[in-house]
Amino acid sequence: MTPTRLFLDHAAGSPTLPEVVDLMADLHRSGIGNPNGGHTEARRARAILDDARASLAEDFSVEPRQITFTATASEALALGLHSALTPSLPFVTTAGEHRGARALAAQHAAEGGAVQLLGLDAHGVMQAHAIRVDHPGAVGLFSLASGEVGTIQPWATFVSAWRASGGGALVADAVQAAYHHDLNAQTTGAAHLVVGSAKVGGPFGIAALISAADTKVRPLIVGGGQERGRRGGTEAVVLAAGFAAAYRAHRRNSAETRRQLCALTDAFDVALGPLASLGLVPTGAPFTSDARLAGHRSYAADWALGDDLVAALDHAGIAASTGSACISGSREPSEALRAMGHSEGESRGGLRLTFGRTSTVAEARQAATVVRSVLERVRTAVPA
Amino acid sequence: MTLTTTPLGGIPVGWLAAPEAAAPERVLVALSGGVDSSVAAALLVEAGHEVVGVWMRLHSAADQRDGHRKSCCTLDAADDARRVADHLGIPFHIQNLEREFADAVLEPFVAAYQSGETPSPCVGCNTAVKFGALVGKGSALFGCDAVATGHYARRAVSDDGRSWRLRAAVDAEKDQTYFLHGLDSAAIARARFPLGGMTKPEVREVARSRGLVTAEKPESQEICFVPDGDYRSLLRDRGAARGEGEVVDESGAVVGTHAGSEGFTIGQRRGLPGSGVSARYVSSIDPLTNRITIAPRAALDVRSIPLVDAATPGGIIAEGARVQGLARIRHRGALAQGIVTGLGGGAATLALNDPLWAPSPGQTVVLYDGETLVAGARIARPSRSA
Repeated sequence: MTPTRLFLDHAAGSPTLPEVVDLMADLHRSGIGNPNGGHTEARRARAILDDARASLAEDFSVEPRQITFTATASEALALGLHSALTPSLPFVTTAGEHRGARALAAQHAAEGGAVQLLGLDAHGVMQAHAIRVDHPGAVGLFSLASGEVGTIQPWATFVSAWRASGGGALVADAVQAAYHHDLNAQTTGAAHLVVGSAKVGGPFGIAALISAADTKVRPLIVGGGQERGRRGGTEAVVLAAGFAAAYRAHRRNSAETRRQLCALTDAFDVALGPLASLGLVPTGAPFTSDARLAGHRSYAADWALGDDLVAALDHAGIAASTGSACISGSREPSEALRAMGHSEGESRGGLRLTFGRTSTVAEARQAATVVRSVLERVRTAVPA
Repeated sequence: MTLTTTPLGGIPVGWLAAPEAAAPERVLVALSGGVDSSVAAALLVEAGHEVVGVWMRLHSAADQRDGHRKSCCTLDAADDARRVADHLGIPFHIQNLEREFADAVLEPFVAAYQSGETPSPCVGCNTAVKFGALVGKGSALFGCDAVATGHYARRAVSDDGRSWRLRAAVDAEKDQTYFLHGLDSAAIARARFPLGGMTKPEVREVARSRGLVTAEKPESQEICFVPDGDYRSLLRDRGAARGEGEVVDESGAVVGTHAGSEGFTIGQRRGLPGSGVSARYVSSIDPLTNRITIAPRAALDVRSIPLVDAATPGGIIAEGARVQGLARIRHRGALAQGIVTGLGGGAATLALNDPLWAPSPGQTVVLYDGETLVAGARIARPSRSA
């Protein structure tokens, strides 16, 4: 094993920022109780939760009451969809969505609901011109940016087309986009916006649903009255504080972070050299395009399984990903890559390298050297 | 428990007992999630080797959770394998070998039943998957030169160091060389069997003393890709079930019916008429007519067995070549002195001094010289004229 690890899987969740870890440890030690109690320790916890909610509300330009904390982004997606969708309404999404979203689509179909899949172009952009909503008020679930291939959707244009075609409520997955953009929940036009914590260096185990001011949230977990009756169960007070602190830190430095991430991928691209010589094709928006998430690189190899590349890179000290979360070891091709027109072989050979705030240019260059040597070795040895 | 030592005798002249990986090396361990492979990994780590743990995803039955039952090939087994790797502080990866498994094991399994044979899926898995494709992946992805498993087997090397053979495990009750016979000399050279010198109770004791989560896991007996044990339903799903047919005696007289000849194997007694001295056993299965022939026990004693894919660890047994040894036609079955004579193209005949009972087409024959395995083959269907 290489002693130093290079972490290039920030899109799946960054290691929690040290200052966030310190803050959460301090809060844990400060003697807090269940925020729903009637004593001093409970009120202390409640104050921490209120502050976290207020901080996030300010960062997303909404009122605190519009924020519902959940345990995961997948839960927030399910909660948003549960609130917006009824069995009689069609559900529109794309093959490029997160696995959780596609599972919700399958669930809707299994319950007899109509599901429409919107196409993607070769760069992973949703084909807004192709929207044909069969039923006014159809509910859409779409990502502002793709975690798998790094494409940032032309959101405003897309929303206009959606409305013009008679589309109804939108559930927007901003988990990837939240890291990279100064999101204003009001201007996305979504009924429900989903944001996560771990992608911005906050703790795992917490996410939020941000709902439009006049939009009702129908709980999945009832009882207890927590989160204004939208989600039963004692709130994860310290995780919420960590989430808010990480997001605030990101907001303070977002322009600088973006410049830094672009410098990292520039250095990586140069050091890696021509992709064709490695048997790779780029996936998603062009690497030089503004329509690509900063710090995000994604490729496909038609000569190997993505999981195998990830395993070989891991062994060489690099944390990478295929980009499409699926059952470990599955040979299933990526639905997103298939929808974008990649061959079946390429769709099984997805590889994603994503940099974060803690990465350095020296690491990016070192990573490129390791990636090149591992890919060259595997390519000469392994049958696809 | 007293150790049942091998009845095969010692190591032949010109061969040496091969120590298991004396010098530290990078070894890939196939972790099944069971106790044997867990202990194999633990012993290699303790011996100072750089160990990489791998769990193989072989088929879609792997997507199931197994509830109370434990199989080697479900997601629960993968979880156990991962926990063992974490405990030992070694890297762990899941490797997809579905395609290789389908080609080498699943398709031949179905085809064998379709042609009236009784397949031996573990042999194909060991030869083509564990010590075939997995070795290639281990080398390409992790730079591992060797692949270790929790099989009970040992290795022998020729005194010039050039040729390798399998050697029966110390514990004759657990010896698995029968299922490993397809490994050629090069594959044996890269294989590591850390448990070959141990008994099962010793293995469990090592697992307990190291605090491995798999220490008390029961043995998995069923075919891994048939988790409910109902292989007939798998055959039905694949369109390979034949339905009801006739049971006839040696004279050809119809004596009953059966629910599908694919549910029977040569020597089977269950589900047939007669008992005691009049007991009858399946003596042949005709896939074309879906007819099963039954006969008295003595009629199934055989001194000559037709073979296919007959090979030594050095390669196919050539036409006219002869290999002598103690033959075995089922796992842990009786041994009988015999000679395999090559007929060309991998076909061969096994001539036995004393008869062996009920050789079943599709099953494996192995031949030992002392405790080393010198040849293996698949039992062929007798020609219709025979």
